[in-house]
Order: sequence, then structure tokens, then C-alpha cells
Amino acid sequence: MRGPVLRARGLVKHHGRGQSLVRAVDEVDLEVHAGQTLAVMGPSGCGKSTLLHLLGGLERPTAGEVWVAGRRIDTLSERALARLRRRSVGFVFQAFHLVEELSAAENVELPVLLAGRSPREARRRASLLLDRVGLADRARHLPSRLSGGQRQRVAIARALANEPLVVLADEPTGNLDTAATLDVLRIFEDLRAAGQTLVIVTHDERVAATADRLVSMRDGMFVDDTRLTAAHPRGLGGLGGMLGLGG
Amino acid sequence: MGSVVLVVRLALADVRRHRAQAAMLLLTVTVATATMAMGLSLHGVSDALYERTRAATAGPDVVVLSGESGPDVTAALASLAGHPGVVAHHGPYRIVYADLATRDALSSPVVVHGFAETPGPVNRPLVTSGRWVRPGGAVLERGFAVALGVGVGDRVTIAGRSYPVVGIAVTAATSIYPWGAQIGPYGGPSDYTGLAWMTRSDARELAAARRLPVTTAVDLRLRDPAAAESFRTTVGDDHRVRAFGSTFRSWTFTARQDMVILRNAQPILVIGSWLLGFLAVTGVVTLAAGRVAEQTRRAGLLKAVGAGPGLIAAVLLTEYLAAALAGDALGLMIARLAMPAVAAPTASRIGDAEPTAAAVAAATVLAVAVAVLSTLGPTLRAMRTATVTALAAPAYQPRRRPRLTALSALLPTPLLLGLRLTARRPGRAVLQACSTATTVVAIIVLLTVHAQRERGYGLDGSTALPNLRGLHDRRLMLAITVLLIALAVVNTLVFTWTTAMEARANMAVARTLGATPGQITAGLSAAQLLPSLPGAAVGVPLGVLVYLFFRVGDTVPPRPSWMLGAVLATLLGTAALTALPARLAARRSVARTLSAETA
Repeated sequence: MRGPVLRARGLVKHHGRGQSLVRAVDEVDLEVHAGQTLAVMGPSGCGKSTLLHLLGGLERPTAGEVWVAGRRIDTLSERALARLRRRSVGFVFQAFHLVEELSAAENVELPVLLAGRSPREARRRASLLLDRVGLADRARHLPSRLSGGQRQRVAIARALANEPLVVLADEPTGNLDTAATLDVLRIFEDLRAAGQTLVIVTHDERVAATADRLVSMRDGMFVDDTRLTAAHPRGLGGLGGMLGLGG
Repeated sequence: MGSVVLVVRLALADVRRHRAQAAMLLLTVTVATATMAMGLSLHGVSDALYERTRAATAGPDVVVLSGESGPDVTAALASLAGHPGVVAHHGPYRIVYADLATRDALSSPVVVHGFAETPGPVNRPLVTSGRWVRPGGAVLERGFAVALGVGVGDRVTIAGRSYPVVGIAVTAATSIYPWGAQIGPYGGPSDYTGLAWMTRSDARELAAARRLPVTTAVDLRLRDPAAAESFRTTVGDDHRVRAFGSTFRSWTFTARQDMVILRNAQPILVIGSWLLGFLAVTGVVTLAAGRVAEQTRRAGLLKAVGAGPGLIAAVLLTEYLAAALAGDALGLMIARLAMPAVAAPTASRIGDAEPTAAAVAAATVLAVAVAVLSTLGPTLRAMRTATVTALAAPAYQPRRRPRLTALSALLPTPLLLGLRLTARRPGRAVLQACSTATTVVAIIVLLTVHAQRERGYGLDGSTALPNLRGLHDRRLMLAITVLLIALAVVNTLVFTWTTAMEARANMAVARTLGATPGQITAGLSAAQLLPSLPGAAVGVPLGVLVYLFFRVGDTVPPRPSWMLGAVLATLLGTAALTALPARLAARRSVARTLSAETA
């Protein structure tokens, strides 16, 4: 598609008033083009997660504009936002947020069913995606019987269920050990190679290393925006080697 | 002492933190205990009111009536005064059967007792307003006067003759209005009849002028009032009264007759109190279940610092017991205030009506039972859980239900969400179904009560004077039904809100996946409606069965359209009630909900 998949202009999100005013996001401008992987890094409390929520329509900005696929979303109703999320946006959360009483396959089927597609289509799609993330043999397992890394992979598969324009991942490896982190990073690398647009909020440099572009945030503002090219290789100082990533 | 202080402090802190739950328990127990106290007290109160009236009016132990009149009958009845078991008597006196009409064209059968202007030692009606009989005037029994809307100074027409009402009085010689006639004309069956008094000469003149039926009666006081029931036997078969087909009415029979008007009231109130108690338990159980993790953690903390099982149980139960006992006290106070209206639907008796000691005890047991039953499960679970596990008590983990999950996938989104929410807490679904069934049972019984045809107390069964028993039953049933509906409303709101709160993380995730707030709202509503459907369906036949179990005589069923209307109204009402809390829950910020879950 022409034009950026995601665009934010003068984005502001404040909490509280007067003495207790918190500027979670402060005049942020952003464009993410199709196929790009954007990593947003910063210390805890800098506004990374809030930014992600604003981009995905989970929160409303105090000021500014958000555009997804050329459509302004910050003025949409909740109903319209929900419909937008069905087709255009996939979320991956730090805490996975899987439905505990549904199996891995049923969790992945859920967004497909919510989009109004048939149970057969949902099952087919879930099977395909679980295979893609390497969990075909765990399809009938409940989340309680999966490791942290496996649960996050199910969450990624769920985020991809309706072939979204962009996947927004909020600290996807925050609760994972090293081995699980590597599994997830491999998936992200595969997605990047397949042309999926990704925005990943993280404080983990290993995760940031998988991105095309790295934005640093502090106190709600962008303080740095770096394209990770040959001059700024993605595998920062041996991390790429550790991941087994080429380029 | 320290333990008591600890228990009280924790209980007070819990009540402050969970005000809505405490208020709900207080309200539901108040309603249930008030109803039970009134229901169980009815018999005792009716007897007490009769006793007070009997004491105040020197009520006779036995009234002997003959369907015939004349000197021989009078002599035969008068001879009973000489029986060794009789210590005092009044009469014989004339009872004249006539019709009475008021200025407002209300008419009723009436029996007119011919009394002396100075009452004797037995059967001295107590004048509550105006004065006793004088020539040319009539005194009306108080229950009869109230039903007619007649007071001292008004005029009534008896057998075509106009009389001023000179007084209103009560007596224990007859049963309450409308059973003023102890036998019918010429000793036949009696109808709903009011009671009036005139002077002996006025009564004689009335009977003669209009050729009205007359019976003769004598009032007796016995040496042993307890032997009143068997007095007829002691009189002997060869006594002269036998020749005139006499009827013997003991004071115990009259007291029992007083309960006829309350025959349906007692089961209505007692069963109503059980149903109210049941709804109380279902609502509080749901709230208590939502606090299981918190209670388990508290038990773990107490164990960790050395508390024994007794103290832990006391801490967990005290909050509920305190609210229940407060509700019990409030309910008994309400019962005390409402008792006169409930136990004495006519004005024929005097005295105060208050709940009996046994009823107070039973109501208190009910209150404690509601509190204990509501919290027993979570309390036992908390006490049985190992300390370390209790301290890390996780949130409720629902069971996987693959068939329901697969079935729900075939449904539109709101039903998909609703069915899956229902499946998370099947116990709660059963409670919702039972709550709906209970409400529908009450509505069906109310409709059935209203469908019954009954004779009015007016002339020829005219409903211009309403049937007070039927009216009383309908009013009580309506009150019980309104209370049940009110509790069911509270329960439905509680069920919906509790479901929404427990599932808020999952609903937030569903919204991130594309479910609209409208679909979430509809899903939360569907989660309550789905179990309500079988509940409503079961409630209809159950309601009919409950009515049939207690009904004496033929029953006219309510119209099927009424019953269908009741079911539909209940379901629509449930849907409407769930909409508000569901909508509020569905509008919560997704980001904040998910952040709170992660924290």
C-alpha cells in the first residue's frame, strides 16, 4: 500500500491535572511504512506502552491524530475501533493474556470467529498459524500446560489470525527466559522477512536488534530515531550472532 | 480478649470495604425474617387476639343454638343453665335473620341478636364507640361496621326498616366477620353474615313484622372451660335440647374459626419466607464466591501468625453473621409493626398482635442459616488450604469445556461470548436459573390466586362487599411477589456485575481482538439470560404445583396468555436489568484493565 501503514501527528496523552499532571506521551510524530519493523525503547514509565495503546486505538489521545492505513482512528467510535482491530491491528502483550480455559487452538480461533468467519475457516487458520510458530503439536493444550515462551508464541499466532496490517507488541519478551526470548525473536525475524509491519515496544536490546528502525523515548517524547542499516547494523555488537541472524 | 478485638476489627474493616455486600445481606435477611416471623406467628396471634376479646367481653364457653323458636325451645335451652357443669348463663335470646342495607346501597345478610339494655354476666359485648343497645337503635359488630363503612350516627335499613347506628361493639361469642351467623335459618347452612344487636323487644318486633326466620340461643359459662368441647356429650342424649336439633359451639371452635380467614395467609407467608431466604442465599453466595481468593489469603495469613481454626472461622464468618443478625432484628421490628394488619384482616377482635417467641427464634435461625450457608463453602475451602498455597491464592480457574466451546463457535458473537461466560461458572448459572424459577413461581401463584372466583360478602354473594379472605390472600401474595421480584432484581444485577468483573480481563482481550462494546454488553446479558430461560420454563409448572398443594377445593387455572406473559416479562426484565451493569463493564478502558491484570 502507498503511504504509511501507521501515522501519528502531534500525539499527546496526559493523565491527571495540575500538580499531578503526567505527560505520558508528549507531542509524538511517527510514521511506520508497510513491511517495516519499528522498535521503541526507553526506561520504565517513559510512555512506550501508552504510545502503543494509542496507535492501536486502545486509548484515546488527549490531542493529536492517529492514522491507520490512511484512516484517522482517534475520532472513531468504540464500535468502529473494534472493527478496525479485527482486520488491521494485532496485539501481543507482555502477560500473553490468553483465555485460560481455551486450548491453544481455540485461543487462536477466537479473533477469526469474532471477525464473523466460519468455525471451519477459524480452525484452518489456527492450524496454519500454530504450525508456523512451531506449536502444531500443542494445539489442544491449555495455556496452563504451556511454557511462557510457548504461550507467547500462541499469542503471536492469535495476533496474526486475521492477517493484520500491523502487529503491535508490548514487551513481548518481558516475562520470558533467554531460551524463550530467542524463540520469540526468531518468529519476529520470520515475520519481518515476510513483510509484516511490526511495532515492538521493548527495553530489551536483543529484541530491538531485530528491527529496521529504533526509536528511543524518554519522558513521553522521542529523543532518537535511528535506521538500523549497514552503518548501524541490527546485530549490535555480537547480538546478531547470538541470535543466529544474518545480515 | 485480644481475639475478640481482632475479630471485631477485621469484621468492621470488611463491612467498610464491602458495603454493598453487607447492605445486600442486611436487606435480604430483613425481608426473609420479617415474612417468616409473621407467617409462623399467625396462629398464635389469632388465638391471642381471640383470648383478649373473650376476656374483655366475658365470652361464653359454649353457645347452644336451636334452629327453632317458641316457648318449648326457650324452656329447653334455659334448662341447660341448671346443668351441674354450668356456673353462669345469658339468655335464651332471639336471633333474627334479615338483610341490611346502607345508604351507599351496600347490602348484606345480617343476624340480629336481641339483647337486654344491661348486659348480663356472660357475653357482654365491648362497646368501642357510641353506646350499647337502646330502643329504636342498632349496634353493629365492629368488623361488620368497618366492612360496610358505617359509623355511629349513620342509618342502616334492616328488613326494610331504618335504624340509627347507636354503637359499634366487639364480641367473642361468635367468630369474626363474616361468620356472625353460627347456624343458618332454621338450623340450616349459614352464609357470609354480619352481626348486629338490638333490644329484645325491637328484635321480636322486627321478626314478627317481617315474618323473618328466628333461631334461639343461650350462652353458658362452664365450671371447667377446658371441657367446652365435650360439654355436648356430658349433656346427655335424653336432654330436651336434643329434641330441637341443637348445635353446640365451644369457645375453642370459635377460636379455630377465626383462623379460617388466615388459612391461606400462613402458607403464603411461610413459603414466601423460604423463597425469600433462598434468593437471599443465592445472591450472597455469588458475592462471597467472588471473594474466595481474598478470604483464602486472609486465612493463610492468620495461620501463618498462629491463629487456630476456630479463630479463622470466626474472622471469616463474623462479617456475614453480624449483617444477618442486624437484618434479623430489623425484620422482627418490621414484623411487629405489620403484624396487626396481617393477622387481623377484620376489625372484629381487640388487642395487640406481635410475633410469638417461637417465630422470633425460627426467624433468627433463618437469618443465621442464610449467613452460614452463603459463606460455608468459601470458609471451609479457606481453612482447608495449606498456608503457603493460601498466601499465593490464585484467581478462580474455570474448567475447560470443549463441547460448549465448539458449540459456541457456531453462534453469533454475543451468544458465543455469553455461552462461554456461562460455562466459566456453571454453579452461578444454576443459581441464576433458580432465582428466575423462584420469581416465576411467585408470579404464577399470584396469577392463580387472582384467577380464583369467590363469593363476595354482600347479599347473594355480591362482591360489592369484597371477600376479605380472598382480598387478604391477594394482598399478601402481591407483597411477597413484589419482594421476591425486588430480590431477584438485586440478584440479577449482582450476578451480571460479578460475572463482568471476573471476566474483565478476557472481555478486554476480546475487545483487542475486535469485539465491539455492544457485543461484549450483549454477551454479558446473554450469560444471565441463557440460564434464565430454563429457569422461567420450570417456574411455570412449579408455580401451579405449589398452588395446588395448598389449595382447598377446586382451582381455576390462570389463562395461558397470562402465564406466557409472565414468563416473557420476566425474561425481558432480566435482559433489561443486565444491560446496565453489562454496558458499564463493557465500557471500561481496555488498556487500564489489561495493565491492572499485569500489575
